Amino acid sequence: MTAASLSEKLQKKECSAVEIAHSVFGQIAKVEGTIGSFVTVCEEQALEQAKEVDRKIAAGEDLSPLAGIPIGVKDNICTKDVLTSCGSKMLSNFQPPYNATVVDKLEQAGAVIVGKCNMDEFAMGSSCETSYFKPAKNPWNPDYVPGGSSGGSASCVSAGEAVLALGSDTGGSIRLPASYCGVVGLKPTYGSVSRYGLVAFASSLDQIGPLGRSVADVASLYSVICGKDPMDATSAQREYGDFCQGMNRSVKGLRIGIPQEYFGEGVEPQVKAAVMAGIQRLAEEGAQAVNITLPSTDYALSAYYIISSAEASSNLARFDGVKYGYRAKDYTNLIDMYEKTRSEGFGDEVKRRIMLGTFVLSSGFYDAYYKRAKQMQQRIAQEYADAFQQCDVILTPTSPSPAFRVGERTDDPLKMYAADVCTVTVNIAGLPAISVPCGISENGLPIGMQMIGPKFSEQMLFDVAGCYETICGGFGIAPSMKGEGGQTK
Amino acid sequence: MQIDIRHIAKLARLSIEDEKMEKFQHEMETIVAMCEKLPPMDDAYTAVDPSNPMRLRPDQVKPSLKRDQLLKNAPQVQAGCIVVPKVVE
Amino acid sequence: MNYEMTIGLEVHAELNTATKIYCSCQNVFGAEVNSHCCPICTGMPGTLPTLNEKVVEYAVKMGHALNCKINPVSKQDRKNYFYPDLPKAYQISQYDIPLCENGYLDVIVDESGATKRIGVTRIHIEEDAGKLLHDESFSGSLVDFNRCGVPLIEIVSEPDMHSSAEAKAYLETIKSILQYIDISDCKMQEGSIRCDINVSVRRPGDPLGTRCEMKNVNTFSGAVRAIEYEAKRQIEILEAGGTIGQETRRWDDAKGQNFLLRSKEDSQDYRYFPEPDLLTIVIDEGDIQKWKEELPELPNKKLKRYMQSNGLPYFDANLLTENPEKAAFFEACVEKGICKAKNISNWLLGDVSKLLNEKNIMLSDTCLTPEKLTDMIAMIEKGTISVTAGKMVLEDIAFSEKTAEESVKEKGLAQISDTGALEEIVKSVIAANPKSVADYKGGKTNVVGFLVGQCMRQSKGQGNPAVLKQIIETMLQKD
Repeated sequence: MTAASLSEKLQKKECSAVEIAHSVFGQIAKVEGTIGSFVTVCEEQALEQAKEVDRKIAAGEDLSPLAGIPIGVKDNICTKDVLTSCGSKMLSNFQPPYNATVVDKLEQAGAVIVGKCNMDEFAMGSSCETSYFKPAKNPWNPDYVPGGSSGGSASCVSAGEAVLALGSDTGGSIRLPASYCGVVGLKPTYGSVSRYGLVAFASSLDQIGPLGRSVADVASLYSVICGKDPMDATSAQREYGDFCQGMNRSVKGLRIGIPQEYFGEGVEPQVKAAVMAGIQRLAEEGAQAVNITLPSTDYALSAYYIISSAEASSNLARFDGVKYGYRAKDYTNLIDMYEKTRSEGFGDEVKRRIMLGTFVLSSGFYDAYYKRAKQMQQRIAQEYADAFQQCDVILTPTSPSPAFRVGERTDDPLKMYAADVCTVTVNIAGLPAISVPCGISENGLPIGMQMIGPKFSEQMLFDVAGCYETICGGFGIAPSMKGEGGQTK
Repeated sequence: MQIDIRHIAKLARLSIEDEKMEKFQHEMETIVAMCEKLPPMDDAYTAVDPSNPMRLRPDQVKPSLKRDQLLKNAPQVQAGCIVVPKVVE
Repeated sequence: MNYEMTIGLEVHAELNTATKIYCSCQNVFGAEVNSHCCPICTGMPGTLPTLNEKVVEYAVKMGHALNCKINPVSKQDRKNYFYPDLPKAYQISQYDIPLCENGYLDVIVDESGATKRIGVTRIHIEEDAGKLLHDESFSGSLVDFNRCGVPLIEIVSEPDMHSSAEAKAYLETIKSILQYIDISDCKMQEGSIRCDINVSVRRPGDPLGTRCEMKNVNTFSGAVRAIEYEAKRQIEILEAGGTIGQETRRWDDAKGQNFLLRSKEDSQDYRYFPEPDLLTIVIDEGDIQKWKEELPELPNKKLKRYMQSNGLPYFDANLLTENPEKAAFFEACVEKGICKAKNISNWLLGDVSKLLNEKNIMLSDTCLTPEKLTDMIAMIEKGTISVTAGKMVLEDIAFSEKTAEESVKEKGLAQISDTGALEEIVKSVIAANPKSVADYKGGKTNVVGFLVGQCMRQSKGQGNPAVLKQIIETMLQKD
């Protein structure tokens, strides 16, 4: 069931928020051992929140469409007095004394936070395998990864362990797992959702965003979390409407840009075919396909890894064993404490990125790496701006392939990084993009299609994605997870 | 490109175990090689964007955090302060 | 061998804004440990900085005061290094586009009021770090984060100074400007102004020598000692045939020595890069202009005016303009137009200052007003009261609501200038001191002073000493 239909049932008093919560925790009890979506399950707290919603319904109060809706929150988003681990040993005991702005907004809307979602350590990864606690698995087939880094956010929605989830996306971390798990995921325009309380990976690229089983659900969660925040200086000074209102507008006359660079050799033929079929369906509804070019796409991954790692090396320097989190047990002096704490507290992938970031910023290398990457970033943003002169929306695969097997890429960082090749440019240019399911692979795994728009064009993306969903249908809960409880009776 | 892993690790306050050194060195060089694909560019670059100016914060005091809340995650606390190994400087 | 020293200074001044630079915690000194902190200034994960608008305003005002070019578009950068008092492990500062640059300061270098121009390279904003507390009884160090995020401006000079005296004059002028535009408390004992000093020496005509940087200089007199020490150290090395290494050294004022912190080889790599959590600082041209117009008359200009228009010597003018409170009080006194500027200056710099120093208070902590003080001085000038009586009146009016006149009346201090009354006193004193009279007649005229003193005592301080002296001399000569 979607959030929209659950909300309607709640309003009509056909079920209670507590019943919805119980049904979700029932599903968690059944599948969590296999899937591993959560680092922390917040059952007690969630039931309290659900009771409060029921009390408000009984009192006839006006409620947000998210009231009583079970939601998972990625474990790099701070929740007051609830473990916020970032999937790392380093923060395996960290309970923030404050909420992220988005969590405050969820609580105000009456959403029921069911747990903190598993993730790649500090959001660095594409498979959810670098989590310190356990890897999350793909609900469509637990031998496969759910994608990352917001793997737990995508898997909990796909497995029916939550109705909606918040993830974060620095280079594809919402869209990639959404596509691998067959759900909808939005990476919002940079600056449209407050980052206050999101543990930073790469500040200039990070953005919190929604995942759900339908475009409408994603739009409704986005409507709640977006907006300017005086606590985040990078948050955009603008007003936002309710994104659920204008949905399902026709795509007639819409110009769909198809960048040839995203359909090259690196992309699996079955993925290309599924995405092209999707474009064809939209064309049948009156949209018009336009060939465009984004010539610098090949350089995007390099620029992305330089910029994101540089920022990460600085953002993660605060984890030094002094103020919070893990501190090594035996040390001889301050420097020794720093080095042991950081070497024991971080996993290898995090260390690699910190090292890369430190290297590209270090004396003598800044111009050849960091500066060049920033120049490339400008160029890529300009190419997008030029492309949007010729089209309204750009369609690409979300990833060159469907989900890969657990363990398949853990020994080859570059192969792992390649999963992000279709998504990173969007972060580099600060644009919004949504991933929607558009097909099933030969081995029965979902394939995702990415729709990219100009800055602050979320409404248009919801329209196009919603239209596509109406024609082709979404996937809902993963097939193997169905019939094992579901959301409500 | 040969990278001085030990120097970089020292800057980043990481210590890489000897047995992992070779693997790390190799991985880092592969990743840096990927990053080196970027061509030199003449594109003008400034890190400022006056078209997107920052909103500044009014100078108005808001309550600070209570000390027990502030220090509740600290590994070692004494006399209302965080304890670290003796600093000489 | 003759050497010339070259000095450049980096002054860090804490700004007296209400809140910290990047969060809304109160900016206050001396609070209980870790009581003015929040998740932002202690660098907790997920928190973000927001720039205090007053910090920009204050820095730009200082830029105007130091004749800088103001950059209407600037940015902030991260300076990365690990230290327990730096919770984010980076300091938000400004690297290549500071708020202000290319300015200068004219420093008065001798008693004629002659000035020397010292270049100001730049002024940028940044955050202060916390404090480490050490206790002998304890094996570790303690971290107090209260000072984290206190706003700082760093004022970097050109290497334009060539003596410790010039450096001291520069520092004192910077301090008084900060006080005049009221952007810093300038309390040295609280560390609200600190400086790093770059020193090099060379033989005249040679290119600049290798410089060494000294950190941890917290007083101006310490700066003088540190400069003299460092120049001497470098000269000794050169004289012994050695070379100077580019070093960072720590000044220990108690020991009067500096110590090597690090040499150039282990110089830190701060990996500066643009702060991604903050956008571009864009300052409205109207604000830049407005802040310039809001600047008060600055101390050097005032000093020259006191010398030229009020006829004060350099010594007086310099002390009076040291801080704006004293200067404003002086000017208000002069404005009354009832006594001489030099007398006002004498009282302010003499007895009033002594009074304040004894009690360790400020002028504003007393009940003294320009009206009360000038009334009193005018009474002295007119001979209504003696200088001695004035000192008593001052103590009285400084700590009560009484006017000078009320005080004089109440204490009965009005001076007796009436010759008739004084003649009686003189007569009795002369009668009581035949030996002095004899001495006088024997040519020891200096006994007159003694006799005046005796008369003053007998008149309970109220006799007009000038009149008394005259009467005594007349009577002695008559006999």
